[in-house]
Amino acid sequence: MENGNVATQAEGKDPAGFLSDILFKPVTVKLNSGVVYKGELQSVDGYMNIALEKTEEYVNGAKRRTYGDAFVRGNNVMYISAES
Amino acid sequence: MAEVEEGPAGGSGSEPLDLVRLLLDEVVFVKLRGDRELQGRLHAYDSHMNLILGDVVETIYVVDDEEEDDEIRTTTKKSEMLFVRGDSVVLLSPQNSS
Repeated sequence: MENGNVATQAEGKDPAGFLSDILFKPVTVKLNSGVVYKGELQSVDGYMNIALEKTEEYVNGAKRRTYGDAFVRGNNVMYISAES
Repeated sequence: MAEVEEGPAGGSGSEPLDLVRLLLDEVVFVKLRGDRELQGRLHAYDSHMNLILGDVVETIYVVDDEEEDDEIRTTTKKSEMLFVRGDSVVLLSPQNSS
């Protein structure tokens, strides 16, 4: 996407660039409801819809569930964080 | 609106909705707003995440104020066919994995 329609923007200053950097890496996704998902980021689209793999769901800090694959609808997302 | 992002270079399964397409005709788990969950067979979906589910079991979690320690109760409802409006969808996952 570097040579695409964002070429005018400085490298690394584009949030979408950050997202492609952390693709397939472990991430933490927090929703507006406070629920947290940790898993490997498979893909993101422009709505911030997210596909995660090997996902763990945390509610109030306690692990609730695990999902092999999970689709999260973008409007619920508060942030996506790269896990160290 | 959703035109930015990824680009075509991503290769196979490069966008989240591809995952949903793979779940067509499979039994899925859907988490909804308002502490509701659904399990059912995914017959159709669109980009809003409007869903058509078949043989659905809906589980509703309610904090019961009547009980002493605000116990969480669950209610279940069954429907043969259900149309879910996309904006209430939080998460979608294949059922076999949970």
